[in-house]
Amino acid sequence: MNNRRLLKIVLKRVLAAIPLMFGITLLSFMIMRLAPGDPVMMFTDPTITIQDMAQLRQNLGLDQPLVIQYFAWLKQVLQGNLGVSFISGKPVLEAILERLPATLLLSISSLVMILLITFPLGLFSGYFKGSIFDDTVTVFTFVGLSIPTFWLGLVLILLFSLELNWFPTAGFLDPYLFDAGLFAQAGSVLHHLCLPLLTIVIGGIAGLTRYYRFGIIGILNQDYIQAARARGISENRLLTRHAVKNAILPIITILGLSLPGLIGGSFVIEYIFSWPGMGQLGVNAVFSRDYPIIMGTILMSSTLIILGNLLADIVYVWVDPRISLSDA
Amino acid sequence: MNKYYYWVLVMGLSALMGCSSSVNKSTDILQMRLGGEPSVLNPILSTDVPSSEVGGLIFDGLFHVNSDLQLEANLITTYNVSEDHLVYTFSLKPDVKWHDGHPFTSEDVVFTFNKILDPSTNTVRRSNYIINQKPILFEATGPLEVTVSLPQPFSPFLLHMGMGILPKHLLEGVDINTATFNRQPVGLGPFKFHSWHSSQFVRLKRNEDYHRGEVRVAEIIQKIIPDQNTALVSLERGEIDRAGIPAKDVPRYRDQPELDIYEYYDLVYTYLGFNLKHPIFSNTQIRQAIAYALDRQIMIDSVLKGMGQEAHLPSSPLLWSYPEDDRIKKYAYNPEKSRAILAQEGFVLNAKTGMLEKEGVPFKFTIITNKGNKDREKICQLIQQFLKEVGIHVDIQLMEWSAFLKVVNAYKDPKEYDAVVLGWSLGLDPDLYAIWHSSQYPRGFNFIGYQNPQVDRLIEQGRQALQQSTRREIYAQAYQAITQDAGYVFLYIPQSIVGMNKRVKGLSKPGPAGLMNRIEEIYLVE
Repeated sequence: MNNRRLLKIVLKRVLAAIPLMFGITLLSFMIMRLAPGDPVMMFTDPTITIQDMAQLRQNLGLDQPLVIQYFAWLKQVLQGNLGVSFISGKPVLEAILERLPATLLLSISSLVMILLITFPLGLFSGYFKGSIFDDTVTVFTFVGLSIPTFWLGLVLILLFSLELNWFPTAGFLDPYLFDAGLFAQAGSVLHHLCLPLLTIVIGGIAGLTRYYRFGIIGILNQDYIQAARARGISENRLLTRHAVKNAILPIITILGLSLPGLIGGSFVIEYIFSWPGMGQLGVNAVFSRDYPIIMGTILMSSTLIILGNLLADIVYVWVDPRISLSDA
Repeated sequence: MNKYYYWVLVMGLSALMGCSSSVNKSTDILQMRLGGEPSVLNPILSTDVPSSEVGGLIFDGLFHVNSDLQLEANLITTYNVSEDHLVYTFSLKPDVKWHDGHPFTSEDVVFTFNKILDPSTNTVRRSNYIINQKPILFEATGPLEVTVSLPQPFSPFLLHMGMGILPKHLLEGVDINTATFNRQPVGLGPFKFHSWHSSQFVRLKRNEDYHRGEVRVAEIIQKIIPDQNTALVSLERGEIDRAGIPAKDVPRYRDQPELDIYEYYDLVYTYLGFNLKHPIFSNTQIRQAIAYALDRQIMIDSVLKGMGQEAHLPSSPLLWSYPEDDRIKKYAYNPEKSRAILAQEGFVLNAKTGMLEKEGVPFKFTIITNKGNKDREKICQLIQQFLKEVGIHVDIQLMEWSAFLKVVNAYKDPKEYDAVVLGWSLGLDPDLYAIWHSSQYPRGFNFIGYQNPQVDRLIEQGRQALQQSTRREIYAQAYQAITQDAGYVFLYIPQSIVGMNKRVKGLSKPGPAGLMNRIEEIYLVE
C-alpha cells in the first residue's frame, strides 16, 4: 500500500516535470540567444565576406524568428533527435556520449574520494571541537579551498610530472597504447587520472568537512544525545550508533544535488589536464555559439537535476521514517 | 603570478629527488600539439586552426605555398592561361591515387569547387569563387584536364586554386555538412587518416604512395592540449615535439639542451583604428597627430619583450607586394610635432587639468578592444599613457568578443565607438578589398568607415592587373594613400616563437608557411 502511494507520487512528480522542462528549455533558449553573437559572426576574418556569412546563417536556420527556431528544435527533440552541432556537423547525442565516460570517471571518483575523506574528518573535527586536531584540519581545508584550481593544477604538473616524472603531464589515454590490451589501457587511464583527481580533491574537501563538522556539533548538542550520555552509554557507542546515523542523512541530499554536477565536468580541470570531458564541450560550445550542443547539455543536466531531487526525496523517505512525501 | 617562487620550490624539491625524464621516443612517430579539438576535417568547411593543421596533412590542392610564400605546382604538371586572362587550363598529374586507392581525376577537382559554390554547403569560402556576382565555371575537359573560366580577370584567383581537393567518389550524393567523411577523411596528402579520439588526439599514418615522393615519418600523433602552460611542460618532457612559446617564456627555453628555438615574423599586424565618422577623428590632421604621439618601439619592448617589428602599413616585409622602404610614410615618435599639430587644430592646454581643450570641451575618447587578449589590453594602456603626455585623455573599455563584434559590426552609420585596438591577419595576396574598399562599410570589415575614391580605384585595378610588377606598383600607391590618411595607426608585427625538439630534422626555413613546409622531408633522429 505504501509502495503504491509512493509510485503515485513519483508519477505525479514526473508529470509535473514536463511543463518544468518545457519552461527550462524555452527560457535557456531565449537567454542564450539574447547574448550577442551567433555561430557565424564569430568568424572575423577579412577573407570571409558578409554574403558568405548571410548564406551560412540561412543554411543553419538562424534567419528565422526565434520562436520558430525554438519550436523547430523542440519538435526535433520530441522525435528523439537532438540535432547536429553547427560547428562540426556531428550529432549532438554522439558528441555528448563520447565525452561522458571520461567525465563520469573523474567526477565519480573525486566525489567518492571527497566523501570518504571529509566524513571522518568532519566527524572528528566536530567531536574534538577546539582541539589542535580541529584547528589543523580547519587551516588545511581552508588552504585547499583558497588555492585557485588552475594554479594548483599547474604546480602539480610541474612537480609530479616535469620534475618527479611520476605521472604524465596531461591527457586521458596514452596514444601509444592504442592497440594495447584492456588492462594496459585501464592502467594508462588511471595513471592519467591521478593529477586531475588530486587537484579536485584538494580543492573540494574544505566545504564538506566544514559541513559535517557543524552537523555533528549540532547533533551532539541535541537532547537525545544528552539523555543517552546521562544513561551512561559509552562515548564510542554514542558516536557510532546515535550521532553518525543522523549525520549521514545530509549525504543523500548532497548526492542528489551533485548528480547533474557529475556529468557537467569541470572546464578548468579539463582544460589544464587536456581531459576529454563535458566541461570542455560545454564551454567551447558557448564560446562558439554552437546552439544545438548548448541546448543538448542543458536538456541533459536539467533532466538530471529534476531526477536527482526526486531520487533524494524518495531515499529520504526510506531511510528516515520522520519524513514523508506529501502528494500535495 | 609568483611563478618564480614555485619554480624555486620545484627546483629545490627536484634537486632532492634527482630529476629524470624519459618518454616514449620512437623515431617513427612525430608528436605535434593541437590547441583545440578540430571541428571538421574537410578543407572546404573548416575555419579553425586545429582543423587545418590536421587537414593540411591529409588533403592536397592543385597548388602548394612554399616557404618563400610563393605558389608552387602541386597536383598539376602545368597550366595555361588564355590571352584575355579569362580561361585557365590545368593539366593534372597522372597516376595520383586517393588514400583508398581510387584514381584522382579532373572530376574530383570540378566536384570540389562546385561543392563550394553550392549554396547548401555550409562554407564561408564561396565568395572566393564568385566575381562580381558571377560564379567561376569549372569543367572537366579531359580525365586529367580542368578548364576554368572566369567572368572577368581576377588576380587573387590562383591562390584560391590551392584549396584541398575532395574525393567525388566518396562524397557524391552525401550531405557534406554532416557527412561522417568529415571525421574519417580520405585525401591525396602525405598522411592518411587513422583515428581521432575526441579531445584527445588525432593519429595519421604515412601515405606510402604519395605523389610528391617518399614520406619519411611513419606516423604523426597530434595531441589536443588546450592549455599553453601544459603544452610547454609537454614540450619539455618530450611528449610533443613542437610548441609555440610566449615571448615572456623564451629566456627559460633558450637554454634547454633538447630544444631549438625558431623565430619568424607572422603575417599579422596590430593597429589602432579610428572611427572616421566620429566628429574629432574625421580630421586627418588629428589622426596624424595621434600617430606621432605613439612610440611603437616601447610597445614592442614592453608588450612583446622586443619580439616584434614596427608596422607602418597593412602588409608585411615578407610579402612580394611590400613597397620599397623610401615610399613608406612612417610616423616616427615625435610628441613635439604631435603637440604642434594639435595646437594648429585649435586645441589649447588647460593649465588646471593638463588636458587639451577646444572651445571648453576636453579632448577625450574611448578605445575598445576585446577582453582576454593581454597584449591588446597592455597596448591600450600604453596608448593611454602616450596620449596623456600630449594632453589627450583616453578611457579603455574591454569587451567580451561577441559584444565587441556587435559594436564594430553593427549595421549602422555612424557606429557607436571612438577607436579600436585590434589585429588583422594578412593573406598572401595583397588584395585590400575587404578592409579598405568603401563598399565594405557599414556592412563589412571596413568598420572604421574608410572612404577614399583613389584607393577604391587602386584596389579595383589591383584585383584585375595580372603582372606582379604592375600590381606591386598599384599597391605601393594604395599603401601611400592609406598611410597618409592615417585611418589606422599601424603598431607592430609580432614574432612567432616556436620550440622544436632537436630530434626533428629536415625543417624548412622559418616563416609563416611553417617550419615543416614539405612535411614529407621531415625525419627524426636518436
